Amino acid sequence: MVTNAVNHYCRSSIGRKHLVAITGLLLCGFLVGHVSGNFLLLVGPDAFNLYAHKLVSLGALLYVIEAGLTGIFLLHLYLAIRLNLENKKSAGKYQVKKWTGRGVTIMSASMPYTGLVLLVFIILHLKNLKFGSYYPTTVDGIQMRDLYRTTMEYFRSPLNVTWYVVAMIAAALHTSHGFASAFQSLGLNHPKYYKSVKYLSYLYGILVGGGFAFISVWAYMKGV
Amino acid sequence: MASTQNMTLNLKIWRQKNNSSEGKLVDYRVENVSPDMSFLEMIDVLNNQLVMKGEEPIAFDHDCREGICGMCSMMIDGKAHGGYKNTTTCQVHMRLYKDGDTIVIEPFRASAFPIVKDLAVDRSAIDKVMQAGGYVTANTGNAPDANAILIPKPIADEAMDAAACIGCGACVASCPNGSGMLFMGAKVSQLALLPQGAVESPKRALNMVHTHDTLGFGNCTNHAECEATCPKGISIEHIARMNREYLKAAFTYHEKKRSEGAG
Amino acid sequence: MSFNLDPKIPAGPLSEKWDKHKFEMKRVNPANKRKYTVIVVGTGLAGGSAAATLAELGYNVLSFCIQDTPRRAHSIAAQGGINAAKNYPNDGDSVKNLFYDTIKGGDYRAREANVYRLAQVSNNIIDQMVSQGVPFAREYGGYLDNRSFGGAQVSRTFYARGQTGQQLLLGAYSGMMKMVAKGKIKQFSRREMMDLVVVNGKARGIIVRNLITGELERYAADAVLLCTGGYGNVFYLSTNAKASNASAAWRCYKRGAGFANPCFTQIHPTCIPVHGDYQSKLTLMSESLRNDGRVWVPKKKDETRKPADIPEDERDYYLERIYPSFGNLAPRDVSSRQAKFRCDEGLGVGPTRQAVYLDFRDAIKRDGKEAIAGRYGNLFEMYERITADNPYETPMMIYPAVHYTMGGLWVDYNLQSTIPGLHVLGEANFSDHGANRLGASALMQGLADGYFVAPYTIGNYLASNPMEKVTTEDKAFKDAEEAVKLQTSKLLGIKGKRTATDFHKALGHYMWDYVGMSRNEAGLKKAIDGIRKLKEEFWSDVNVPGDTSNFNIELHTAARVADFLELGELMALDALERNESCGGHFREEYQTPDNEARRDDEHFTHAAVWEYTGANSSPVRHKEELVFENVKLATRSYK
Repeated sequence: MVTNAVNHYCRSSIGRKHLVAITGLLLCGFLVGHVSGNFLLLVGPDAFNLYAHKLVSLGALLYVIEAGLTGIFLLHLYLAIRLNLENKKSAGKYQVKKWTGRGVTIMSASMPYTGLVLLVFIILHLKNLKFGSYYPTTVDGIQMRDLYRTTMEYFRSPLNVTWYVVAMIAAALHTSHGFASAFQSLGLNHPKYYKSVKYLSYLYGILVGGGFAFISVWAYMKGV
Repeated sequence: MASTQNMTLNLKIWRQKNNSSEGKLVDYRVENVSPDMSFLEMIDVLNNQLVMKGEEPIAFDHDCREGICGMCSMMIDGKAHGGYKNTTTCQVHMRLYKDGDTIVIEPFRASAFPIVKDLAVDRSAIDKVMQAGGYVTANTGNAPDANAILIPKPIADEAMDAAACIGCGACVASCPNGSGMLFMGAKVSQLALLPQGAVESPKRALNMVHTHDTLGFGNCTNHAECEATCPKGISIEHIARMNREYLKAAFTYHEKKRSEGAG
Repeated sequence: MSFNLDPKIPAGPLSEKWDKHKFEMKRVNPANKRKYTVIVVGTGLAGGSAAATLAELGYNVLSFCIQDTPRRAHSIAAQGGINAAKNYPNDGDSVKNLFYDTIKGGDYRAREANVYRLAQVSNNIIDQMVSQGVPFAREYGGYLDNRSFGGAQVSRTFYARGQTGQQLLLGAYSGMMKMVAKGKIKQFSRREMMDLVVVNGKARGIIVRNLITGELERYAADAVLLCTGGYGNVFYLSTNAKASNASAAWRCYKRGAGFANPCFTQIHPTCIPVHGDYQSKLTLMSESLRNDGRVWVPKKKDETRKPADIPEDERDYYLERIYPSFGNLAPRDVSSRQAKFRCDEGLGVGPTRQAVYLDFRDAIKRDGKEAIAGRYGNLFEMYERITADNPYETPMMIYPAVHYTMGGLWVDYNLQSTIPGLHVLGEANFSDHGANRLGASALMQGLADGYFVAPYTIGNYLASNPMEKVTTEDKAFKDAEEAVKLQTSKLLGIKGKRTATDFHKALGHYMWDYVGMSRNEAGLKKAIDGIRKLKEEFWSDVNVPGDTSNFNIELHTAARVADFLELGELMALDALERNESCGGHFREEYQTPDNEARRDDEHFTHAAVWEYTGANSSPVRHKEELVFENVKLATRSYK
């Protein structure tokens, strides 16, 4: 009976929408952590490397977190693609179709595309940074990876920085629709607060996307 | 106000004999269009010309022509009901157009709304969603005094906002996903707000959403284009309330199969 | 042939008749109800509520509507409200008051017993609709709000913004959808009733056209409920929806149902004026506007100043002047007529001089713009969309328009027509409004008939009459279908030079000019002559393209116009025979020195019931004498 209910829920339009929203919000939370960590680059190599080392030292727990994060990401991705393909079939095919300007926005209309940009970005990002060149270093007598160097090297290339900034614009667009949208999906749209949620959503997109992009540009400038 | 003089308009109108045949946009020219005419009266003038030439007039749905029955549809230049705020096609007046304008007119399209002929479509899927729970099970004769259950004015007003839905389907036709969440959300929300309807709200939310999903409607991705084209200005807050009702119901509503037995 | 016009009013005191009748009526036991099938044509307030209620009781219901879904029936367009004798505002209302106002409003041409029953069940309707989730307007305390309507000195009108009809209809529709889901109602949309099938003197089925495929379909049942609304579209321009038509009722008339008081037409005083001959319909502005709006015309003929520039002492607030006790809330017939008189005197305003002002200036000054917007915001927006004028700044221009028909198929106390088994509900029957209907009473009557009257009386009919087995293969069905086919091929074969709509407009001109707000003998005779000629021309010169193999909108229109042409003539004839003025029927020959209607109670305290006698002979006028035991006939005064 319980499995049946869950099964039903996970197949329904609204159930899946809830799941996209929840996974999306969790990923939003992760990004806040990530961008905050990145700002340690500005403080200096040691601060950044120590922070990275602390995370790595979590050991098994880190793997659990990483597995969870991957799971959340894959579920978000799978559901989004699935819903998108279904929606393509359901929507009317017009000779001429225009938006009113009061509903669909660039952010909402580009969700699948910004999403795909982010997917490609994340794969390359993991390859180039997380699994990128390994340089050892010692901070406070502890042996650790010099992730600072890997990062700064990566951002020495204008091509990489450009790509990174483009991806972060996509991230800003994606999250500034997605953040508020998740509240709406979960039914948390109240006339008293929703306007604030919408502003918060734009602010989120700008701060997080802008934050990442800023650091990449800063790193490039520093290397010049 | 764009125009005060009579106009000549070029129309590109979707003609399709029935659901199984191919359709195409056909060019027409209408002269002497008064700015005081309604959009449908302009089509009447064209149809009159066609009939006099022995051609079949353009089939389109319309009835009350005062913006309340929900029968009229039409995508005018790619926007449902022309895309004017809180306005149905029958209330669009020609003073909004200019002499020489070209207007493209297509039917409401969505996989849940098959075409009947030309601009007329079959919106019976809306009825089917309503049959799944868009009512209060209150048989005639059951009712207590109308003032027996008090309803705060703001709640009654909000329920009325949702209840204003005319079932025209503009939300579905304009949705980039062909989703029926706005008209369904409006009904679920209206009845969830009112104490009379709240009694069976969980079951209603579950049944209506599941029925919606089987009828070819798409999923909601919160574009809010439905809210923008809704001729009654119904807010997506009502979709949110439905999402909430559905979430609650999906995890808590339980009905045990019991044998009632004979007394 | 002669009609049995026994109204079957139960004996006993007025207030006990309905209870007594409910007790005495035969009932069908629950297990047997499922053996009966009932056809309900139309899904407005009357049809929708009847179909839902009969299905709840256990009958098998076949429901038909002309639109793509039952939720679009024209009841949806009613704006202002629905009356009930709840007396919530504590202004002294009662069932008896509502009864009295309705009888008086109808100018003493309605049946006492029916109207009393209507007032009695009015309260149940509000209870029922609230329990179905209709969001009526409320006070902050959570109690229901009321407002005033014309012809009453109490506030007894319940409302849901300016969309009361819509909300009530959606309530009835939701009840229907519930029973469709349970399999007790089979819903047939986009069907138009083309004929009634009478077997052994009883109504046993209908022939319908499937508007999409063009095919004719036959349906058999044990009883037929006709809930197809009024025939105001005979005037071409009216506030009715475009698909509203008289054909279903007219075909029943031709099968032997008496048509009562066809000339009783309601012309609503507050509509947006006509502005061009391309115009396809008129839009009503709710009567509720007269709660706050003041009606006036300039005192000077051919006034050219803007309304705002006309000083107070050069304005004639004629309703307040002539009817000080009811003022702007004088009943519809009276208000309409006075607007016409002003325009006839050359005091009309606007480009056509066929309009009067409805001014909110003083109300906005008194209550503030916000309060007025709260009450009528949606109506003001609608007015502005249509006319491009902003009523907050400049007065509305309004003129009367055809809105409702009090006449209709004759029914007895059980709502049964002269054909056994054919019951007629709502605006399609003639029963409750006499010669003039009060505002907010149409919704009340439709729902009363459908929820609380017909479900009992149908049971009585079925239990009292043996039902022979009838199938759609019976000869009566074949013959009826053949007749429809014949008419259809005739229409398609003419291939003339004028469209059906063109004929309809021509008919409308005759009706409005001679059978409209004010009628006289010469004009009516002219109309009868003109309509007859028009009918001949129609049948030799109409152009209907296409065939019957698909959705042929011109064919649908032409078939309806053919019936309107015949009905228009009967309306003029009825108006000619009724040598008195009463309610909406104003004969210029019969008026008081101050232009009020003068009734002739001695000769015309009856319903005129017309019997069809064939295409080539004149219809016969019968009478149902109206007996007033509880109300004293008096000159109707709103002064």
